[in-house]
Amino acid sequence: MDLLSNLALGLATAATIQNLAYCFAGVFLGTFIGVLPGVGPLAAVAMLLPVSFYLPPETALVMLAGVYYGAEYGGSVASILLNIPGTPSASVTCIDGYPMAQQGRAGVALFSTAMASMFGALFGVAVMVLLSPKLADFALLFQPAEYFSVMVLGLVAASIVSSSGAVRGLMMVCLGVLLGTVGIDVNSGETRFTGGLPQLRDGISLVVVAMGLFGISEVMVSLRGATQSYAGKGLMGSMFPTAAEWGRSLMPAIRGSLVGSFFGTLPGTGQTVASFVGYAVEKRVNRRRDQFGKGTIEGVVVPESANNAAAQTAFIPTLTLGIPGSTTMALMLGALMIHGITPGPRLISEHPELFWGLVVSFVFGNVFLLILNIPLIGIWVRLLRVPHSYLYPTVIVLICVGVYSISNSIADVWAALAFGAIGYALRLFRFEPAPMLIGFVLGPMMEEYFRRAMLLSRGDPGVFVTRPGSAALLAVAALLLLATVLPWKQWVTRGVSAAPSRGQG
Amino acid sequence: MNRRTLLSTAFAALAAALPAAAQTDWPERPVRILVSFPPGGSSDLVARLLAEKLSASLGQQFVVENKPGAAGTVAATALKEAAPDGYTLMLSNLTPFNVAPVRFPDTPYDPIADFDHITYVGAVHLGLFAAPSAGTSDLAAFIEKAKADPGFYEYGSSGVGSWGHIIAEQFQDETGTELFHIPYKGSGPMRLDFMGGVVPLIFDAVPQNLPAVEDGTAIPLAVSAPERLSSLPGVPTFAEAGYDIVAENWLGVSAPAGVPGDIEARLDGALAAAMELDDVLDQFESWGLIRVPKTSEQFSAYVAAQLRQWTPLVEAATE
Repeated sequence: MDLLSNLALGLATAATIQNLAYCFAGVFLGTFIGVLPGVGPLAAVAMLLPVSFYLPPETALVMLAGVYYGAEYGGSVASILLNIPGTPSASVTCIDGYPMAQQGRAGVALFSTAMASMFGALFGVAVMVLLSPKLADFALLFQPAEYFSVMVLGLVAASIVSSSGAVRGLMMVCLGVLLGTVGIDVNSGETRFTGGLPQLRDGISLVVVAMGLFGISEVMVSLRGATQSYAGKGLMGSMFPTAAEWGRSLMPAIRGSLVGSFFGTLPGTGQTVASFVGYAVEKRVNRRRDQFGKGTIEGVVVPESANNAAAQTAFIPTLTLGIPGSTTMALMLGALMIHGITPGPRLISEHPELFWGLVVSFVFGNVFLLILNIPLIGIWVRLLRVPHSYLYPTVIVLICVGVYSISNSIADVWAALAFGAIGYALRLFRFEPAPMLIGFVLGPMMEEYFRRAMLLSRGDPGVFVTRPGSAALLAVAALLLLATVLPWKQWVTRGVSAAPSRGQG
Repeated sequence: MNRRTLLSTAFAALAAALPAAAQTDWPERPVRILVSFPPGGSSDLVARLLAEKLSASLGQQFVVENKPGAAGTVAATALKEAAPDGYTLMLSNLTPFNVAPVRFPDTPYDPIADFDHITYVGAVHLGLFAAPSAGTSDLAAFIEKAKADPGFYEYGSSGVGSWGHIIAEQFQDETGTELFHIPYKGSGPMRLDFMGGVVPLIFDAVPQNLPAVEDGTAIPLAVSAPERLSSLPGVPTFAEAGYDIVAENWLGVSAPAGVPGDIEARLDGALAAAMELDDVLDQFESWGLIRVPKTSEQFSAYVAAQLRQWTPLVEAATE
């Protein structure tokens, strides 16, 4: 059977001492770099890219991939402990992870993150192995109309995620969308809202917004002493979830992985949409939805399994079509190009050892990640004991370094500090930054795909409902929105109380 | 000897010593090479490859610093503002020096007067590619079809004001056709839609499309090189077909204006030697980068000539 021989080839490539060693080195460095607030997978991969030039291509790719998903995992540590996500997708993990830490259950949150990440990643790998040729075709079936509908779904999901109410969530999403319009308009080439500053022609940097809204403002909140209370509480408590929590986590992990595997294959949307949509769907489907946002374990399991599944399936369009879905993926392609391999439709058939070796290395890498992290949980949690007078200045410095490193620009650092002030003001009025961030990410993409779809249909808006994929996605978005707006919770409770009375009557 | 004469003698001696010191001592500390793209793209890889070779031959670290943004003008502005001492260089290319200054009149530098364009590296060319669904594999036949049905065929470019867009506009002018422009944010998303059959035509750099050509999912109709490309020997140039369309995205090494001549000569010599190395030539070939050696004078004249060539085209495309 083809599949078995492919896996055997992959195993033969991935299981050499050298590749195992570089895979371990990759996830190890990735985790540590990812834990630093303000430094995400992109910076981690960029730092190690030059090293990869001296390695054979498959080893280079195995190592960089390890750095990438290692950093993705590491980013969730800062989300849970400090409420500072390393990546936009990890901002969902903050919603329940940080309350868990405040309740003295940081160990449990980190442990379930590790388990959920591995579960999601292995799920994503399984999807890749079973469906890789089909998935590439699937990504191509997505046309501008479908992408637009995916963005609509993502934005609806984002406003639902907010625990401070859908209306406030929606307001924040809109604000994010507006911020996202800064820069050159794709269709006309005209600049919008740049105030004549050439630095703003490409728009405001995502990392700047994310680090300002979450990182800097979190430090400012903590200066008021608002978050001091929990440090030291229950630090060394068990990191193992209770039996009931294990049981409650399985289905959410499966649902999260499914959502993640789906969105990962779409270039450009990937993990961020995956974790937001995964969380929003779970918040509708789960029977304990009332507990979401208050520090429930499912709220950590879902986004983590979703974004790690997406992290794996994101390699499909990158490697099979040669089209990177994100800047981080572009770096991976760079690592191949330096070895004279131009990724394209024939990559899998021409370099099967590269593709299958990478896939098998994902399995090893994720197991390494788990082995590496379980002993580390105790150390991470102890970080909370570091007095805030040392911890937070360090965090600010790291954020500034991280922001500066994106494009070596000091203006970006000032912008991040400004967004920190904005984020602080918003929090004072109980507005959450997460929906704003997703609006900022998805809004401009939604506009771009909307206008492209309209160009291609020569101005006929019918494409969004006549194409079945687009129509289905819009229908899901509409259902999610209706389920939020309509007072269905009352109907359910009324239905429950009505049933026995009918029985008696 | 009073103090004043002593001082002036000392200064004179110092002044006399300085050029001599530069002659032998540059580089004494690490040299920055600015790149106007984020890490991972082909320009970044070229810069890293050359930086590695220069570090080895000149005995100082050459460090690549990515300063992406605003069509490369962020990096070029930083270069202009740097001291002309040979410690800040840039991997220069078409967009910030020949396109952006025309498109954005507020660009804060003069692409010729403010810089010393030192060494020419090479160039890639543009191709017109058709998807199999477009039902054409021949330029003349396609032009006939397009003329018969103005506005029917969509073409993708990597953005308004990108070289693909500019050349596509020139193509329509020259051939008397009318195509429907679908702009993208960069080449990646455009090629995705091209492979998915959303846009039937693209104007895009040749090298990154070669795997799709081999695979049969992209059919090259013509290339913008002055002569046929060795990577696509069966594909005609626009010039052969009778259209005056020659476009190349060049790469070079530039510095702020006023770098001492001996430093420029030393850098140019080291770069020229690096680009004779077999492994560098192999890499250039695999990236589709075509190198025709030029002297520093020829390169400076070339950048100025390119600016004259592109100015009317950019104005026509983005009016």
